Amino acid sequence: MSAPVAPVRLPLVEGGKSYHDITEDIVSPTENAPGTAWVIAFLISVVTLGFGLFCIFWTIYMGIGTWGSNRTIGWAWDITNFVWWIGIGHAGTLISAILLLFRQKWRTGVNRAAEAMTIFAVMCAGLFPLIHMGRIWLANFIFPYPNTRGPLWVNFNSPLLWDVFAISTYFTVSLLFWYTGLVPDFATVRDRAKGIRKRIYAFLAFGWTGKAKHWQRWESLSLVLAGIATPLVLSVHTIVSFDFATSVIPGWHTTIFPPYFVAGAIFSGFAMVLTLMIITRKVLNLQEYITVEHIESMNKVIVATGSIVGVAYLTELFVSWYSGYVYEQFAFYNRAAGIYWWSYFGMMLCNVISPQFFWIKKLRRNITFTFFMSIFINIGMWFERFVIIATTLARDYLPSSWSYYMPTWVEVGIFVGTMGLFFTLYLIFTRVAPVVAIAEVKSILKTAGDQYIGEKANDGDHKNSAH
Amino acid sequence: MKNNNQEVWVGISDKTNDPEFLEAASKEFVELPIVDTLSKEEALDHGSNRRDFLKYLGFGLGAATLAAGCDVPVKRAIPYVTKPDEIVPGVATYYASSFVNGGDYCAILVKTREGRPIKIEGNPLSEVTKGGTNARTQACVLSLYDTNRIQGPGKIVANEMQSEKMSWADLDTAVAAKLTATSQIRIVTGTILSPTTKKAIGEFVAKFPNTKVVTYDAISSSAILEANQQSFGEKVIPDYRFDKAKVIVSVGADFLGTWISPIEYAADYAKNRKVAKSKGAKMSRHYQVESGMTMTGSNADHRILIKPSEQGAAIATLYNEVAAKTGGTSINAPKVNAKAAKQLSKVAADLVSAKGASLVVSGSNNVGEQNIVNAINSLLGNYGSTIGFANASMQRQGIDAEIQGLIREMNGGSVDAVFVMGANPAFDLPNSNAFQAAMAKVGTKVFFDGLMNETGSLCDFAAPTNHFLESWGDAEPKRGHLSLIQPTISPLFDTRQVEETLLRWAGSANLNKNADQPYYEYLKASWTTEVLGQQSGFASGQAFWDNALHDGVVKVNRASNEIVYAGDVAAAAGKINQPVAGDGVELALYETVNIGDGKYANNPWLQELPDPVLRTAWGTYLSVPISYDGKNYTTFRNVGDDNQKGRGEKLDVTRGDYTQRVTALPQFGQMPNTVSMSLGNGRQIVGQNGKKIGSDTFPYCSLDKNGNTQYYAAGVEVSNIVEKVSAIPLVQYFNTMGLTSGQKKDFNVDEDILAFQGSLTDRTVIRRTNLDKIEEFAHDLKEERSHHEHLNDQTLYPYEAYKKDFYDQGHHWGMFIDLNACVGCGACSVACMAENNVPVVGAEQVAAHHGMEWLRIDRYYFGDVENPSTVYQPMMCQHCDNAPCENVCPVAATNHSSEGLNQMTYNRCIGTRYCANNCPYKVRRFNWLDYTTADIFPGNQFPINGEELVHGADNLTRMVLNPDVTVRSRGVIEKCSFCVQRIQEGKLTAKSEGRKLNENDVKSACMTACPTGAITFGDTNDKKGRLAEKLDSDLNYIVLEEINVRSSVTYSAKVTNKDESVDAIS
Repeated sequence: MSAPVAPVRLPLVEGGKSYHDITEDIVSPTENAPGTAWVIAFLISVVTLGFGLFCIFWTIYMGIGTWGSNRTIGWAWDITNFVWWIGIGHAGTLISAILLLFRQKWRTGVNRAAEAMTIFAVMCAGLFPLIHMGRIWLANFIFPYPNTRGPLWVNFNSPLLWDVFAISTYFTVSLLFWYTGLVPDFATVRDRAKGIRKRIYAFLAFGWTGKAKHWQRWESLSLVLAGIATPLVLSVHTIVSFDFATSVIPGWHTTIFPPYFVAGAIFSGFAMVLTLMIITRKVLNLQEYITVEHIESMNKVIVATGSIVGVAYLTELFVSWYSGYVYEQFAFYNRAAGIYWWSYFGMMLCNVISPQFFWIKKLRRNITFTFFMSIFINIGMWFERFVIIATTLARDYLPSSWSYYMPTWVEVGIFVGTMGLFFTLYLIFTRVAPVVAIAEVKSILKTAGDQYIGEKANDGDHKNSAH
Repeated sequence: MKNNNQEVWVGISDKTNDPEFLEAASKEFVELPIVDTLSKEEALDHGSNRRDFLKYLGFGLGAATLAAGCDVPVKRAIPYVTKPDEIVPGVATYYASSFVNGGDYCAILVKTREGRPIKIEGNPLSEVTKGGTNARTQACVLSLYDTNRIQGPGKIVANEMQSEKMSWADLDTAVAAKLTATSQIRIVTGTILSPTTKKAIGEFVAKFPNTKVVTYDAISSSAILEANQQSFGEKVIPDYRFDKAKVIVSVGADFLGTWISPIEYAADYAKNRKVAKSKGAKMSRHYQVESGMTMTGSNADHRILIKPSEQGAAIATLYNEVAAKTGGTSINAPKVNAKAAKQLSKVAADLVSAKGASLVVSGSNNVGEQNIVNAINSLLGNYGSTIGFANASMQRQGIDAEIQGLIREMNGGSVDAVFVMGANPAFDLPNSNAFQAAMAKVGTKVFFDGLMNETGSLCDFAAPTNHFLESWGDAEPKRGHLSLIQPTISPLFDTRQVEETLLRWAGSANLNKNADQPYYEYLKASWTTEVLGQQSGFASGQAFWDNALHDGVVKVNRASNEIVYAGDVAAAAGKINQPVAGDGVELALYETVNIGDGKYANNPWLQELPDPVLRTAWGTYLSVPISYDGKNYTTFRNVGDDNQKGRGEKLDVTRGDYTQRVTALPQFGQMPNTVSMSLGNGRQIVGQNGKKIGSDTFPYCSLDKNGNTQYYAAGVEVSNIVEKVSAIPLVQYFNTMGLTSGQKKDFNVDEDILAFQGSLTDRTVIRRTNLDKIEEFAHDLKEERSHHEHLNDQTLYPYEAYKKDFYDQGHHWGMFIDLNACVGCGACSVACMAENNVPVVGAEQVAAHHGMEWLRIDRYYFGDVENPSTVYQPMMCQHCDNAPCENVCPVAATNHSSEGLNQMTYNRCIGTRYCANNCPYKVRRFNWLDYTTADIFPGNQFPINGEELVHGADNLTRMVLNPDVTVRSRGVIEKCSFCVQRIQEGKLTAKSEGRKLNENDVKSACMTACPTGAITFGDTNDKKGRLAEKLDSDLNYIVLEEINVRSSVTYSAKVTNKDESVDAIS
């Protein structure tokens, strides 16, 4: 295989790894006992998950009245968290599908974990539309299937129903995509494992033997799934935004929402990927696979999507003024200067102003700075959803019905609980599956940087191991 | 006949013993036919396979689910063994009766279902209440099923709700043993409207000649009675005719809400306030002189602010102004504040210009002041036109001095026995402490009321009377206007009517003790002997009685004397309350439409009904003034900063050594340096719903020189903020709209005050104008509406064609609401709760904005910031023909009927609340918690006031439920249905009678409850109906018309009749 000669391109994997090094480095976490840090993190996650489960039980047993939402503000933290989690998932799909189609090879270092994050985030997200129902025990009503209730059919006009399809499709495709990628890596783990582990991984690897036919089918399947997943990156959050855009509430009824939501989703997704990767690469010693180059690339995506989001915010403000319509004008005036001014301020600061620092290369490549920025952006994107949902509802058409919302301990508990769920799953994932796609990293080991002849060209011994 | 063996067969194969048939027959009940046909081959060849496995799995699961889910025991559904003639299951029966509670009166029709009274309607035959009702009347049916009622005679345990049970015979003996012919007995009672009750008491007095009846009203009009005694020689409340008055001046009389006969007055008042069309519009002008904004004041064209202690001065000033213009003698009058004095001069000019068609009323309880009011009306020639004595009101009869005299007597030890009926002096006197102490010195105390109270707990014996819905009785609210009370249910408990008890103790010969219903016979005898002669329609007693009982009301001729004014104004001027000079804070005390003097404190429907002005429920609140300097505003003691987050502050209000800590709320239109508080809450001995609610404010009242209670306190100390409150049951935060800044454009007070509230004034929610600009307004409105219509026509969806095909066919239900007629009383709101089984949620949940009301009355302000005008807007589901709630429901639980109804299918609802979010009118209500005890989970009900047995969880309270309306469980959305059950009932009636639906077949509960006719429900396709007539006005508008939801509710703009020159006075 003749590699493209790119003398200015830095290698995508640093440290001059050999194929065997890669296998060793990435598989070892699944083979060794977890460290103390992992155990502590896992315990904390499980405890928060447990508290979250209790809060969900409490909600279902006592009722939605245990939340702070009210006659005016029917949705608050529940749907805010839903949209936030769904948005976070988007980065994984973008990295694995769109970047695959665009042949962005740097994605191989992060796509596995990002996809896992997508799946876990969608699981957290999917929880909220369920538990925000007043009668969750009738949740089956939202699925169109032949039934004995008339039969009664769902309302295909409702964006909430579109959500059901969008999210279930998204979850299914993401899961398939992720698992497909895992199959050759599970085979690698299987080949190294013994006893019961071998049998489990043998099952998980679906009898993968690494035949050329396997690889060829695997490549095709990946491409097909990428093709299916690519429109999902755009469609899922577009449909989520329809929950608001198709309503009559000023501040919700906006045609800008679909692109604005998609950009925001990718923005927040990359921030979450960064948060996780920066910890993972450190804890699992994968700095050479998830490099500063990766971080910089993702920061570039962040500054791009962050700016799109910023433009969307400003466009909204302009259009509300330009509309000449009192309700629209007030809705945005209220967002910026109403009783929830602090959430709007938080959103602007975290989402629009802070990512602009990434125009500076030095900051883009600064891992500590990036880490804090990623947290910032996650907070900002949460605020964005809170601003759109709760503060808009709090002050709509009839001043007589204006209200105020504060979350109760139950709502906070459920949100924290989804964090617990997310991290519990993610921590398990880091112990049982290769967090970097071994096969894919191996495939790019020699295609991107081995012709590099610039500075630091002789770092490590990758020149030697390449031959 | 060939088939002799009685065999049953299904076809010819049956008879020919076809082998296939035989096989099939042998398998008939063995295998599932579907399995057999679908997988025949495989079934025969391989036994079970994958498909079978899935089928059996599916069947097994389904069967298990069915088996698990079908165990629904039916409880207590017992049919009649012998069905009573008048009861047809599923069909409501209406009985004419009267709601009477002390002086509160309303002629009613009681709707009963299967023998249970479940709803109150107004009796349109009554000339007093004219078919209207108020909130108290609507709520009285719930008090019948109050679990805290005293369940039988007994010995009272001090300070407890329970009593040691005894039998009536034992009680009779025990009381008789204590009474001798010379016993000094005092019957303490509120106003008694019933002539027959008075007759029964008369018999008791005849037996025990040292008995005296002490009548007093907690919120009294004794000064009017005494003043009329002095001015006219008649101790009555005259017949005020608000419908004949062109100029109305009320000095502190809340005549639309609480004063004397509010249903009657509101109906009369609204007649001259309604404006049908802009052309030739005429309406009365209403001035209100008061300190804090009352419901009546909020409806006035001008409010003149005075301190409570200036009331006498204001009346005297008004008198002098009127006298100067009409040639009366002037009096020495203390000075009212300068602004009010200037305004009163304008008022006087207006009054004089409407001489003979004006009306001055006052809620003052000072005899001097009421005498001057009489003098003013006399100068204006109002007697004989707007004020009459022929049909004088009996609705207040109490003289405050009598109860004060009783306290002295009791303290003197000269009282042997006290009977308490319909009164609670241990709570509702300014010196209730003194009464409590004096009670200890009385030997025998008998308590007759059905619900334990502070006074009852001091008594020895409970002789509980029936609820009025279980009673026979009569009432004479106005002279010559009689009405009957008939029972609509057998007594639920072991109670006995107080009249019967007294007659038994009196050993009356007129009472047939062995009769099934002794008092019924007594009453009937009394009517057929006495009342029969006073009327001319019927000759025979039985026919008269039957008719009277059927109609509920009877008009009789009563001789009345010629009335001549003979008042002494100069003497009266010397008796008025003197204004208190200085900067001391003054406290005005007022009665609310719901709790009254405290009698209604245990009724959760009334506790939950928000105060029309303050918009608070469940408690006592301190209204404090807001001052505004054109740029900034300040509230009294700087309270209210966090009101828009539902939080607030408490202040200590001290008069002498009496202090209460109450939540303060800024209130527009409150006189500077005064505060207001409502009376009635803060009850100590009361049922579970009234317990620990609000503060007792009666001790702030005082007595004047004549012993009349004064409902204000001049020298109160109000502390700074002492405590923060995290949640106030405040249903509407202080977001107002349309206050005029003096510039051309209206502006919003919050915008200025809080700097970030934004413009509310261009909102298409409230439309209003002044009478002098009405034609211009109507023109502008027409243009704006046609612009909105134009915008709404820009759609891709063929709405017009659809409308033609569907909504214009058959019925299309709609509603018209006259904002000018709505006085904000809340009768409709309570009627809606009663009709539609709307749950009560309690203070905590109201504070969380989880209230369930289907119909609310929004309150908005406009005009002067410090003293604005108010508009009330009843708001319920608008039944939009292009409803935004309908398309967003994922499970199609809310949908549109071909008759334009927005329907809610509770069974289908999964509770996403998307519809509520997307409702522009915010009228959809979610069952946040298990308020109705209808949930699938046990043990998660929400107590409304910390009670042990959750409200509505007991079978007694559940008897009030309307069986035609589903009780909603937790987790579903509900909202106004336009009383769809009434529409169905109307249709069925029409159908069974084989005729077209008549517009009177269907009336919504809010429409029938309204005393002023502000709500009209009907069929918009009925071009000759009552609704078509109302909809044809150029003052009509639709709320948020431009968003194209195509609401079915039309509002008529609010029109005020302001005189700009009065507003200009500063």
